[in-house]
Amino acid sequence: MMRLLDRLEEVLIATLMAAATLLIFVAVVHRYAAGWPIPVVQDFLIKLNLSWAQELCIYMFVWMAKFGAAYGVRTGIHVGVDVMINRLPPDTRRLYVLFGLFAGALFTGIVGTLGATFVWDIGHTDSVSPDLELPKWLVYLCVPLGSYLMCFRFLQVAVTFWRTGDLPRHDVAHVEGIDDAIKAVPDLHPAPTAGGRP
Amino acid sequence: MNVAAPIAAPHDAPRWPGLLPILIIGIPVALKLAGLALPNAWIIFALLFGLMLTGMPVSISLGLTVLVYLFTMTTVPIESVALKLFTGIEKFEIMAIPFFILAGNFLTHGGVARRMITFASSMVGHWHGGLGLAGVLACALFAAVSGSSPATVVAIGSIILPAMIKQGFPARFGAGVITTSGALGILIPPSIVMVMYAVATNTSVGQLFIAGIIPGIVLATMLGLTTWWRARKNNYPRQPVVSWRERLRAFRESAWGLLLIVVVIGGIYTGIFTPTEAAAMSAVYAFLVAVFVYKDMPLSRVPKVLLDSANMSAMLLYIITNAVMFSYLLTSEQIPQELAAWMLDKGLGIVTFLLVVNVLLLLAGNVMEPSSIVLIMAPILFPVAIKLGIDPVHFGIMMVVNMEVGMCHPPVGLNLYVASGITKMGITELTIAVWPWLLTMLVFLLLVTYWPALSIWLPKTLGMM
Repeated sequence: MMRLLDRLEEVLIATLMAAATLLIFVAVVHRYAAGWPIPVVQDFLIKLNLSWAQELCIYMFVWMAKFGAAYGVRTGIHVGVDVMINRLPPDTRRLYVLFGLFAGALFTGIVGTLGATFVWDIGHTDSVSPDLELPKWLVYLCVPLGSYLMCFRFLQVAVTFWRTGDLPRHDVAHVEGIDDAIKAVPDLHPAPTAGGRP
Repeated sequence: MNVAAPIAAPHDAPRWPGLLPILIIGIPVALKLAGLALPNAWIIFALLFGLMLTGMPVSISLGLTVLVYLFTMTTVPIESVALKLFTGIEKFEIMAIPFFILAGNFLTHGGVARRMITFASSMVGHWHGGLGLAGVLACALFAAVSGSSPATVVAIGSIILPAMIKQGFPARFGAGVITTSGALGILIPPSIVMVMYAVATNTSVGQLFIAGIIPGIVLATMLGLTTWWRARKNNYPRQPVVSWRERLRAFRESAWGLLLIVVVIGGIYTGIFTPTEAAAMSAVYAFLVAVFVYKDMPLSRVPKVLLDSANMSAMLLYIITNAVMFSYLLTSEQIPQELAAWMLDKGLGIVTFLLVVNVLLLLAGNVMEPSSIVLIMAPILFPVAIKLGIDPVHFGIMMVVNMEVGMCHPPVGLNLYVASGITKMGITELTIAVWPWLLTMLVFLLLVTYWPALSIWLPKTLGMM
């Protein structure tokens, strides 16, 4: 069950990322291709209206941002100022880490609730988005869903930290493939000649 | 993200700093409750800094500050601010950020960087500094296709640093060169930090990008000169002179990567693309080059790259959402306006203001990463700068250079951590290693700060401003 949720989250954000990129690419190519005087193709392209692409791209990224932020809690990518707490003795530091995680859960919980009320309210109006004419409540549904998911992730991380003392860590210092790169060095550059060594 | 390695402080480390956040928040609130006429601004900033000091994510401290303000200090209806939460990032310009991150990730793992290094080394490798000098040039070239500093350090550093050590360069020299040259990534367009500044201040992304070109070239030259001088003094190894035929071949090989510079900068300048569209085009282009042209990345790696990019972009977009709310709060409390009025009242001129801004940003660079600094500080400082008649684009470039310096020194300089991951050197040793170049960057910072023409001449001449 948990694994399914994790997987769903990952697939959703990666797909939205790819889809939005392709969408804008196609829209730009279309804009210029429609100007080429190729008989049948041009008529077809001009009929194809892609003016909604920008709007859809924004909504896709907003959805990606909300769910990606929840995924980010799980991977520990959200940056904090940890200069001070890392200098504290371990037990005091632990208190602050837990405080931070609960503050995160509190904030996302409140935002989720605000979002749910907001979505409920506009769900009863018939406001639609300008180009796509999607109902607004559907567009903003990502706010309560994403925030509640994020709240859940914060609590999940807090429980793990409470039990094991482990925090998810986005390790910037780890560079993928670096060990292969070191092995593959010799063929890159000719040996040094001039200058010599000190 | 805890940037620093999990340093376990000793059990008997002093406990009193733990009280700091409580004091920072507690004292102003207590004074206010005691009936003192303390401006709301003080409480807002005390709350923000107190919360940030506890190590919670910057985005969460911003958000909680706004919520506390909403519930206790204002009569602004909560709905109007909550709306910002939903509409805060609905701008097409902001969407350039995920696209540039995606493009950068495709390029970092592809062979574009390796071919750029070969090209750079064939052009300048025979001078003093050899591979080090080539590293500076390669960083500058890669910076022109990538919008992030750590990504530039990863892409160039992971290939060139092992090669330099093998040739007999001291590890410190190589690490110093690449850590600082990697910072060019956010100055030479495209740049994610510039998009952040544009979002926070409503400046044009295109103008900022073009304005970054000349300062970028100047900084690259200055870093190159420092490298050349240090290498000549210590007599470090040089590359053999390469024939022009070889150079042409290296150029042709790296042409696919170099073409991207033309696509992004040329496309934006001529108006063929908006910056966001250029970002999307470069993401698709980088994908095609990495997977089909250079074939350095198997198709099976693509989902992982997509997921990593989405993760990073979502984090940045989340900070933006909360920072937008925060800057709305600042505006409704009239904080920047009051600050500007106070500055003019005290007769502080442009020179003093810019000096203060630089010191402030350099200090902030000690504890926060660039995107958060720009998103928090720009809305506060920008109105003051405008009142004083400072050009918005010039001010933006200056902020970006400040951020560059912050990326290269501890405790939070991301470039340092990436370089330490590549070279397996400790942060303390790296800090010593970067100082000649860091000093060069500080000199450059002064130059950018007090010589506006350096940044705004090119966009003005091209008729963009």
